[in-house]
Amino acid sequence: MKKTLLRLVLPLMLAVMMLPALPLSVVAEEALTVTVFVGEPRDQPTSDNKVFKMIEEEFGLKFEFEFLAGDLNETLGVKIAGQDYADLMDGGNYAEKLIEAGAFINLMDYISEEETPNIYQHVEPYLKRLLNEDGELFIIPNYGRYYNTEDYPMNYVNGPAFFLQKKVLAWDNYPMIKTMDEYFDLIERYVAANPTNEQGQPNEGFAILCEDWRAFCLFNPVQHLMGRPNDGDVIVDIDDNYKTEAYCIQDYAKHYYQKLNEMFHKGLISQDTFVMNYDQYLAKISSGTVVGMFDQYWNLQNGNDALRAAEMFDSTYQGLPLIYTPEQAGKEVEEHYLNGTVINVNRGFGISVNAEHPERLVQFMEKMLSDEWQKMIWWGIEGEDYYMEDGRFLRTYEQIQDAANMVWRNKNSAYVLTNSMAKKQGEMDDGNKWDPMVQPECYFLQMNDYDKAFLEAYGMQRPLDFFNDPIELAPYGEAWQIDVTVDQDANDAKLGYQDVQRKMLPQVIMAAPEEFDAKWDEYVAAAEAVPVSDFVDFMQESILELVEQVTGN
Amino acid sequence: MRRAKASTGTALPDRLGLSKHSFWHTLWQQRQLAFMSVPMLLYIFLFNYFPLWGWITAFMDYKPVLPLLENKWVGLENFKWLFSRPEFLGAVRNTFAMAAINLVFGFVFPILLALFLNEIRRTRFKRTVQTVTYLPHFLSWVIVVGIAQTMLSSTGAINQLLVSTGIVSRPVFFLGEGRYFWWLVGFIHIWKECGWNSIIYLAAMTAIDPGQYEAAEMDGAGRFKKMWYISLPGIRSTFMVLLIMNIGYLMEAGFEIQYLMGQNVVMDWSQTIDIFALKYGINRGQYSRAIAAGIFKSIVSIALMTSANFAAKRLGEDTLL
Repeated sequence: MKKTLLRLVLPLMLAVMMLPALPLSVVAEEALTVTVFVGEPRDQPTSDNKVFKMIEEEFGLKFEFEFLAGDLNETLGVKIAGQDYADLMDGGNYAEKLIEAGAFINLMDYISEEETPNIYQHVEPYLKRLLNEDGELFIIPNYGRYYNTEDYPMNYVNGPAFFLQKKVLAWDNYPMIKTMDEYFDLIERYVAANPTNEQGQPNEGFAILCEDWRAFCLFNPVQHLMGRPNDGDVIVDIDDNYKTEAYCIQDYAKHYYQKLNEMFHKGLISQDTFVMNYDQYLAKISSGTVVGMFDQYWNLQNGNDALRAAEMFDSTYQGLPLIYTPEQAGKEVEEHYLNGTVINVNRGFGISVNAEHPERLVQFMEKMLSDEWQKMIWWGIEGEDYYMEDGRFLRTYEQIQDAANMVWRNKNSAYVLTNSMAKKQGEMDDGNKWDPMVQPECYFLQMNDYDKAFLEAYGMQRPLDFFNDPIELAPYGEAWQIDVTVDQDANDAKLGYQDVQRKMLPQVIMAAPEEFDAKWDEYVAAAEAVPVSDFVDFMQESILELVEQVTGN
Repeated sequence: MRRAKASTGTALPDRLGLSKHSFWHTLWQQRQLAFMSVPMLLYIFLFNYFPLWGWITAFMDYKPVLPLLENKWVGLENFKWLFSRPEFLGAVRNTFAMAAINLVFGFVFPILLALFLNEIRRTRFKRTVQTVTYLPHFLSWVIVVGIAQTMLSSTGAINQLLVSTGIVSRPVFFLGEGRYFWWLVGFIHIWKECGWNSIIYLAAMTAIDPGQYEAAEMDGAGRFKKMWYISLPGIRSTFMVLLIMNIGYLMEAGFEIQYLMGQNVVMDWSQTIDIFALKYGINRGQYSRAIAAGIFKSIVSIALMTSANFAAKRLGEDTLL
């Protein structure tokens, strides 16, 4: 009896134990799960996301995302210490750390004209700039590869500018503000006449974000006032054999910080601005009380969008390209905030050494770079997300609103993945723009009436029209892209220099007017003691090397 | 015992010829107890001692991409680098200063609070005060720092009070002036932990024989005399044990509060050794230097702990070690 029972039960038990194993092995053959790390806080796409479904059907790939929670630099540090890499890694602004730690495979082993024609065609013109000394490529840039066009890629300026609430310009009857002095003078007059905003909250003349790496709001203005586009912490003199210097400790920088010192003592800059974090900054902007600031548009965009969502259109910002007067700069300055299009070196996905099927991932990237999939990435599905008329790609107002809506996107777009992947920008072969928000029809359709009237008062069509045309990109690209982590002394000097700036520039700005000069000298001495020259020398050398690589002389 | 021996035959130590007072003999006698402590020992070894193996990277130029032992040995180079950095020396100074402030405040205020609470005879009022004062202990530092930042900003409650009463003419820049930082940290610690820390003293005071108070009253002692001559000596041994323990933690000036509240402007006063290690190790990838800083901190902690213990022994108090 006992034996028969055992005979009956045993196979049953075995079968039960096998059960969970069975479907798993079937799935494994069907779809490969790819782990992805993205160095930005985002939402998970929904499980019924239509684009990810199409990707799974076509490529047999499923994606498991880890998005940033907390500090990117620390998160990557922990991952490196534990060699705990996802298959695809986007290290954002700290990708160099991953490269330095050997986290990525060399993509050049997989890229060739025959195997991956799309990728090859995509990177080929920029290989000199993209490959490192050993001829390796770890990341295919996510942005900055333009096809068929030389224009500035947007209708507004996404980068650096001095921003001012539109109502301030309207209040002063739409003046053309060109210089730093005019700008601060207008802020002073406006705040004197309007101590509070419409909601009765006190207006703050000028805000300066000084937190962590976003402290570029504090460091960067001087190079632009001197008439150069963004090169990061150094300014490069193209006409003087690419002479490189740290601009924030030069005499011409003093004019800017002296102006801020003046503004501080007039009560137009709040002391709290030096200790606020990014969230507090955005909250302040969203409340509509910040009259002006220096920033890059993408950094303040969330605040500006919040104002728009609250229909406080007159409190949204217009970027202004300000320069020094000839006396301040010591020479005649021409405004150059916009640079030629620049390939986004080392930003985007790399394939980590932990990935089991790198060749499949490269092939996936290759197929995604085809025109057919690029249309899907940028525009979506015809009839659902856009429509065609006379060969033009168009969207209705609702479709534009949807595409800007995060909740909609999580369900209907693979944005979280494709944002870090190689993309085509500029124009399709038939003259349509790849980016819907650059397609003029779509841009003007979504523009609100306040903005239209505002621009009309200036006789302009786009916010971009306040700026001069982009200058030709220097052969070295933009100097902030140069990877300093390869040289420990230079890197220490760069970080030390930034620490000195973050610590002492606020003190310079808050110093009593009669102590300003002494405080400034103290600051310059501290920067020189770092020594900042280690960093500048490294940059000078790298820039000259790059120029030689790219131009051949 | 004798019967057990008879039933199991000769015990193992006897068969091995070990003397009755040797370590192994005692161990055998307490084998059940010893066996029960094995998991704890394993745990401590695995998670507390074994990772110390990683300390060898402090003597290397460590790059995570290479296998551990293939990294270049540099001897004491990393330590030399540390002590040549004004930034690190500043971090050591800040750690000690804030720890000392925390240590002193951390004794004075809770003991005072406990003394006062001990004098209150209405239990309901006493309980309420106790609960209200220890509740902030359960708030996370993120929230506490958030509250502090709001209160201390130029438009915050404290500045409004100071300005409206005419004590200052302009709002004080509490969060951006380095010289305030240590004291802010001290006071915020008190705000958060004072009530919680007073519980243990209060418990020690309730253990004092009420007869002593009555006797003192008969001798004409007032409230303060009773506090001074009975309550305080009554918690003396509790105080000493806590003092020794806290001195061991002296290098733990705290991490979260400085990390959250230490903006760049006050960096020279806010950076502790832990933050220094985090900045260089995790943020800048200079793991060896960060570990060297950590080792320095551990060694100083151990030295402090043993000397406090030694001092307590000399004073004729109970010791921990």
